[in-house]
Amino acid sequence: MQRVANLSEPGAKEAQAAAIEVAELSHVYQGREGKVPALEGISLDVVAGRFVVIVGPSGCGKTSLLMMMAGLRRPTTGTILCAGRPIDVPDPDRIGVVFQEASLFPWLTALENIEFPLSIRGAPRLERRGRADAMLNLVGLAGFGARYPHELSGGMKQRVSIARGLVQDPPVLLMDEPFAALDEQTRMTMGHELLRIWSQTNKTVVFVTHSLTEAVYLADEVLVMSPRPGRIIDRAEVTLPRPRTYEMMATDVFGRLRERIWQNIRKVT
Amino acid sequence: MSRSALILTRLALLAMVLAAWEWLPRWAVVNAALLPPLSDVLAMFVTILGRSQVQEAIAVTAGEVALAFMFAVPIGAGAGVLVAESQYFGQIFRPMLFYVFSIPKSIFLPMFILVFGIGFEQKVAYATFSTVFIVIMSAAAAVESVKADHVLVARSYGATRIQVVRRVYVPSMLPFLLETLRISMIFNLTGVMIAEMYASRSGIGQLIASWGENFQMPQLFAGVVLLAGAAIAFNETVRWLEAQCSAWRT
Amino acid sequence: MRPAPATVRRLLLALLLLLWELVPRLGLLPELFLPSLSRTLGVLVHNWVEYGHALAVTLYEVVLAMLIACGAGILIGAVVGGLSRVRQLLLPVFSSLYAVPIVILYPIFTAWLGVGSQSKIAFAGVYGFFPVVLSTAAGMQSIDQNFLVAARSMGASLPQQITRVVIPASMPTVLAGLRLGGALAIIGVIVSEMLTAAAGIGYLVSKYRTVLDSPRVFAAILMILALSVLFDALARSLERRALAWQTAGRRDRGLPVDKETYASATLPA
Repeated sequence: MQRVANLSEPGAKEAQAAAIEVAELSHVYQGREGKVPALEGISLDVVAGRFVVIVGPSGCGKTSLLMMMAGLRRPTTGTILCAGRPIDVPDPDRIGVVFQEASLFPWLTALENIEFPLSIRGAPRLERRGRADAMLNLVGLAGFGARYPHELSGGMKQRVSIARGLVQDPPVLLMDEPFAALDEQTRMTMGHELLRIWSQTNKTVVFVTHSLTEAVYLADEVLVMSPRPGRIIDRAEVTLPRPRTYEMMATDVFGRLRERIWQNIRKVT
Repeated sequence: MSRSALILTRLALLAMVLAAWEWLPRWAVVNAALLPPLSDVLAMFVTILGRSQVQEAIAVTAGEVALAFMFAVPIGAGAGVLVAESQYFGQIFRPMLFYVFSIPKSIFLPMFILVFGIGFEQKVAYATFSTVFIVIMSAAAAVESVKADHVLVARSYGATRIQVVRRVYVPSMLPFLLETLRISMIFNLTGVMIAEMYASRSGIGQLIASWGENFQMPQLFAGVVLLAGAAIAFNETVRWLEAQCSAWRT
Repeated sequence: MRPAPATVRRLLLALLLLLWELVPRLGLLPELFLPSLSRTLGVLVHNWVEYGHALAVTLYEVVLAMLIACGAGILIGAVVGGLSRVRQLLLPVFSSLYAVPIVILYPIFTAWLGVGSQSKIAFAGVYGFFPVVLSTAAGMQSIDQNFLVAARSMGASLPQQITRVVIPASMPTVLAGLRLGGALAIIGVIVSEMLTAAAGIGYLVSKYRTVLDSPRVFAAILMILALSVLFDALARSLERRALAWQTAGRRDRGLPVDKETYASATLPA
């Protein structure tokens, strides 16, 4: 399945429109001993429908960047546009967020957790149920709706979290190291599942991770960040065909991409 | 807030409270017969400290507190270690301990009075009884706080039993032990006070109760200040000691 | 195989009751020191009017004291715990004050409010207040901050964050505070009734002690025991029922399941 838009197709211009535009974003925060530059001069465009991964060492500010894209934090300077309009407060109609800690509310069932964004908007009960059920099925957890978070495994909790992020059908999904707390095997399975969900829903995904393998495996494009102050130091197109398979991890292309990203990171750390 | 700002704000709050205590009675906003102004109370405080009757009472109370403590701590610590080390005993007695805490232990005072009379021994016995349970709980928690991992690491390096106790258990438990002492003393002091206020011929508690009965308000407040001051002083001292030993704790 | 701990406990209890009956009957202890269980129960039954009335007075005082201790305690504890400035400022002060045996303030209450119910209610209310504040403040702090970030990302307004996240998340703390406040209210009322009163079960203990009527004294003691144990059992079962999800949540986060650390068993009388 081709994911790169063909320029000769009608409507290709819109299809290629940026889902997220970040312009000259910098962020400075007040630390214990004075001002700390966290991010510097970040400019990037995420094309609609693409799976973009941001990778970088710990403390480079990738999470902060994502939080700003989500409207949870304001940058000191610079703008972020989503679908052409600025983002300065969280807008679940445009952007869904999945956190590293699934942050499921333990007093609600899985289904109720997924419904949560709809219920605070005052959506009617039947509609809420319907959409939440659909999402539950999409993430492969049909039948687990009545379970409480403590009855779910780590991977299952993240699936619920993904379902919750998608329930309002936002065009963009931001994911902050969602699989970092899982063991490696679950991570691989979840990565695979995520690609399946993405291919079925046509969303734009911005995914933050510190795992190079995960980055190359999942992405259309990998953005590499430097340590603090975070800057974008490389953009790598991942030309591997889709759907991705585990076998691709053993190919030369994969290895060279990983190596390139790794070298870029090593240069600045 | 910075440290100095915190301390200054607290001092300011304290100053406001003290000022209110001084001026509200003096300006007759509050009945001065019911709430003597701070300066009167402090003057009376100095006075009563000079009275031999009060000095004896302090000595009696101090003696009861110390003795009860010396009984309760070893007994409680022993039982606490047992509860912590033995899974079986722990499972049996722990739920009972929780219920014990919700029972007003003062209801057993009549029993102690029947057996011991209303003298020194009765108050020591009651206070010991009052304190022993919290010592058990705290000691159990202290033993449990020693991480099994640390013991394992020590043993894997060939540490003998004694070395494990000295080099792992003791430093791990020290902050908890001090915490135990601190909290136990609070319970101990409360126990002694209740016994002295209930039925006693001596002790600070009895003096406070009698001043109250006779509406001698300045003396009453002075006595309360005396005891509160002593309690807080002890508490803060142990807390400071805890802090010294706990630099490694989160 | 050893018997189950619960069984051992019940056996011990039964043994205690048996001893209570037999030791005085067999003359091992004089009836003055320990009237037999059957004598004590007999007194209760014969004088149920007097004891019933006393119970009513005590319960009335306990309920009102609980309102003060829990009402004010939970509210102020929530404020102190939730606002970090206030917490930093006041929490150490509260925990220092906790070292003072509150019982010494009781004569002040009787001087101000007399020997009737008001002084008991005020005293027991204050008695429960500080521990409830401390317990609630600690509980507030333990609420996972990520819940609020997640809620914000889903577009929850501030009032919604409070009603849909903070309140459900703080339920365990509030219920524990109710149990603590109630237990302390009972203790405070009983102690004050024993010291200076004209009515109530505690008063009966003192009244009959001075005339050396042990069966009547022990009848009152038995009543108080029953009251406090019953309240505790009820409060715990309420907590367990309402919070089935919470124990498991704590297990997930590696926190001790048994929330009763010794520091929270803060009942010095």
